[in-house]
Amino acid sequence: MNNRRTLKIAKIETETDDIKTYSFKYSLNAKPGQFIMLTDFEGGEKPFSISDCTEDVFSITVKRIGEFTSHLFQKRVGDYVSIRGAYGSSFFISKGKVLLVGGGYAVPTFYFLSKVLKENGTEVTLINGARTKDEHLFSKKFNGLGIKVINTTDDGSFGEKGTSVDVAKRMLNNQRENGKMFDFVYASGPEMMMKALQPLLDNVEYEFLLERYMKCAIGICGNCTMDPLGIRLCVEGPVLPKKLVEQLTEFGKYHRDASGKRIKY
Amino acid sequence: MRKRLKTKFLGIEVNSPLVLPAGIMDMSFSGLSVSAKNGAGVVTSKSLTLEPRMGHKGPVVAEFASGLLNAMGLCNPGIMDGLTEINQFKERSDTPVIVSVFATNTDDFSELTKHVNKSRGDFLELNLSCPNVFDEFGIPLAASKDEVFKIVKTVKEISRLPIIVKLSPNVYDIVEIALAAEKAGADVLCLINTVGPGMLINTKMVKPVLFNKFGGLSGPCIKPVALKLIYQTYSAVNIPIIGMGGVTIGEDAIEMIMAGATLVGVGTAVYYRGVEVFNKINDEIIEFMNKSNYDSLEDIPKLEKLNE
Repeated sequence: MNNRRTLKIAKIETETDDIKTYSFKYSLNAKPGQFIMLTDFEGGEKPFSISDCTEDVFSITVKRIGEFTSHLFQKRVGDYVSIRGAYGSSFFISKGKVLLVGGGYAVPTFYFLSKVLKENGTEVTLINGARTKDEHLFSKKFNGLGIKVINTTDDGSFGEKGTSVDVAKRMLNNQRENGKMFDFVYASGPEMMMKALQPLLDNVEYEFLLERYMKCAIGICGNCTMDPLGIRLCVEGPVLPKKLVEQLTEFGKYHRDASGKRIKY
Repeated sequence: MRKRLKTKFLGIEVNSPLVLPAGIMDMSFSGLSVSAKNGAGVVTSKSLTLEPRMGHKGPVVAEFASGLLNAMGLCNPGIMDGLTEINQFKERSDTPVIVSVFATNTDDFSELTKHVNKSRGDFLELNLSCPNVFDEFGIPLAASKDEVFKIVKTVKEISRLPIIVKLSPNVYDIVEIALAAEKAGADVLCLINTVGPGMLINTKMVKPVLFNKFGGLSGPCIKPVALKLIYQTYSAVNIPIIGMGGVTIGEDAIEMIMAGATLVGVGTAVYYRGVEVFNKINDEIIEFMNKSNYDSLEDIPKLEKLNE
């Protein structure tokens, strides 16, 4: 049952001042949307979405947001870290024509998903949003995939001006007029971005990649359960389908911190 | 079929002898609901403290061949928020709830008890035996029969709810501790808490796997220790026992009952068999009862008590 693997960092790419991609030579066999738990046995252990996974290499893309990630940013190629996983649910691989709505540092997981969708013959349109140009991620990597990409920033410093949801709204409205709707919508980003997107998706199936404070990642500690269903985001999530997201009363309202205390958005 | 698993526990009707123990999927009302819906007869809250606790950094769990090692560090949202979760659970479910509390002294236990008195909880569990906060609080209170007696006696005088005392397996003589709790007025004993603590080492990085270095051991490997301690305790006391420690399949639960347990805790097995584990074990208990022609849980025989 022990699936801990202690691996050397094989490659580090600097994406922005605060975001790096770490790659490992290991056959993880993960699916898009899944995550790993990563530790150095010094600074704690945190979950990270998998941003790419091939037969023998996988990558995670990390934003420096606190003590743990600052510590991780000191690591160099060849240093050991220890991981367990891959854990959790993965994205449904839809046929036809799909829309990916991404925001901020949650976008890289869509790189892995886009690759798998593309191999499946699915027509992918990605809205890749960030607050500013400096925080915008993976634009070159996505261009290399041969999918349709619309880049957007809140301040207009890169791509279109506006949020991912603004662009999604326009595209979904256009589609409705043409009578040619997307077959499936995926979203990964800040929870309030997805909350704003949700009302636009009445007529289409979707999946959201959600985040909650995870500790054990094996479904026993209860820290990441979501109300009122008691969904354990580390096991039944982090990717949840429309029919579950619609029932989550805490979605877009509150989450729980490390103590289990409710924190309002 | 499952009607045959109904039993009365201190006058309260329970649908199954299976108990969700403290520390498993019990941070929120919705977490408790999952176990209740999946066949647990009684659910226990996270051990609540007066103030919120963030718990230890990760890794908080480590898997190994025949069990789990954990050191969560008593993370919980604090008594007030914790009771709100319990009350919200009770609005949605008839399943009895054990409110577990943790403190390090009599005064704090008293204050916690006063809060619990105002809640919709059904039982009060005194966690005297968390093994994972040694750096902060030292040896668990459950190691001292005098401390156990003092705390249980004080809490008994003010508690509106029946009192369950959670005992540690990591003591020289559990029977003298159990007798002290009984003498002080405990209504129920709950044993065992996790074993050890133990440790695991990552050999490539030469580091303990758990951030806390040491953690309590649970899972199939601790069942024999649990059975022995439950049997010894059952032989000595006259109050009911909630038996737990490594119960993974129906037959494990039967062993617990034969060793002297009235109700049986199922915790780490959620990791091995999913949240459906309670109903799986319920079905396995019924299958055993059918084969052996036992009509009710009370028909399942217990071992002859040890001689004094």
